[in-house]
Amino acid sequence: MSIQNLNTFDPFADAIKSSEDDVQDGLVHVRIQQRNGRKTLTTVQGLSSEYDLKKIVRACKKEFACNGTVVEHPEYGEVLQLQGDQRENICQWLTKSGLVKPEQLKVHGF
Amino acid sequence: MDDDMIFDPSLKKKKKKKTGFDMDAALASEQGESTSVEAPVESGDVDVPEDENLDLDNFGKKKKKKKKTFFNLEELESALPETTEEKPPAEEPEPQEEDLVDDLDLEIDFSKTKKKRRKKNLDELVAEEENNENQENAEDLHGDWVSTDRDYTYDELLERVFDIMREKNPGMVSGKKQKFIMRPPQVVRIGTKKTSFANFTEICKTLHRQPKHLLDFLLAELGTSGSVDGNSQLIIKGRFQQKQIENVLRRYIKEYVTCHTCRSPDTILQKDTRLFFLQCETCGSRCSVASIKSGFQAVTGKRAAIRAKIA
Ligand SMILES: [Zn+2]
Repeated sequence: MSIQNLNTFDPFADAIKSSEDDVQDGLVHVRIQQRNGRKTLTTVQGLSSEYDLKKIVRACKKEFACNGTVVEHPEYGEVLQLQGDQRENICQWLTKSGLVKPEQLKVHGF
Repeated sequence: MDDDMIFDPSLKKKKKKKTGFDMDAALASEQGESTSVEAPVESGDVDVPEDENLDLDNFGKKKKKKKKTFFNLEELESALPETTEEKPPAEEPEPQEEDLVDDLDLEIDFSKTKKKRRKKNLDELVAEEENNENQENAEDLHGDWVSTDRDYTYDELLERVFDIMREKNPGMVSGKKQKFIMRPPQVVRIGTKKTSFANFTEICKTLHRQPKHLLDFLLAELGTSGSVDGNSQLIIKGRFQQKQIENVLRRYIKEYVTCHTCRSPDTILQKDTRLFFLQCETCGSRCSVASIKSGFQAVTGKRAAIRAKIA
């Protein structure tokens, strides 16, 4: 039975899957954008549509004490938008709440 | 039997460690009213990867365990070759088939005792091949594992693999890799809203990459726009410091310049159909790299102005 087990489990399946995802995307992209002056904006793209983003943004606004909104995009779906550089905050929050696995997060920016 | 012993406790331990109680609690405290709907979805999502991890762990353990038992068995066998309980008598009459199989595997160079034990069942063959490979390594030295029943620690295994690597190719994994030396980017503010990356073209040349590729990456990562001007410097919209540009460059080099396997910077970036591949000139590895996408761009300008432009 152990041998059966050895065969059905492909140890590289994860690696293959994640590299494909990398190209075609199954990731949550956290980006930063500069606005006028030294103001910035954080966007979170790629959250599962099974989640209620409105509820997430409400929780985040309270937690990080910043404003935020959900934007509907024809190609990227619902995108979370938060004021300021919330990249650290949102990454921690998403992983801590279990909504996103750490390896699914891709943080962009400087 | 033995395998099960190992299997069970780790399973329980893992489960206990990970069951998302504090996750739920955290969520409840943070999201107050919203938990009831999301909770089932989340727990489902969390459970699946957990199982995957579990399998991976146990898989590794089993394999190691197997290796050990086989190793012991082999010793036994060489000592008294006639009386192994594992070998079914049916195996003896068909030596030809085995020989055929062995011919296919010539490159891997198994030792004779292992061949003798081989069975025709394909599944088992595959499993054994793995074991044999491990065995080959195990035979090197490290006798302290042979007779004991304990599990290997991660450090032991890591040290071992590096020992083997160093032994087999001296110089390659010496630990002191050739450092990638590059001049730092010269970044100067232009007025209040733009930044100049003065030696952009020069850096592209040192990295042996098309300026357009690096440009696409920089702009996508910085979430802004920009272009190369007549003096071959890159003008970026927004205010950026040298340190920040350096960070992005470092990430570019890691993903698109140095080999993902051996970290050698001697690589070629090729476009194949829609994907980019990084071909290493040192170790010959070839792997696909992430495509550059700016993704979602929030509207940051004055909306009235944009509306006016469209109209
Ligand atoms: Zn290489």
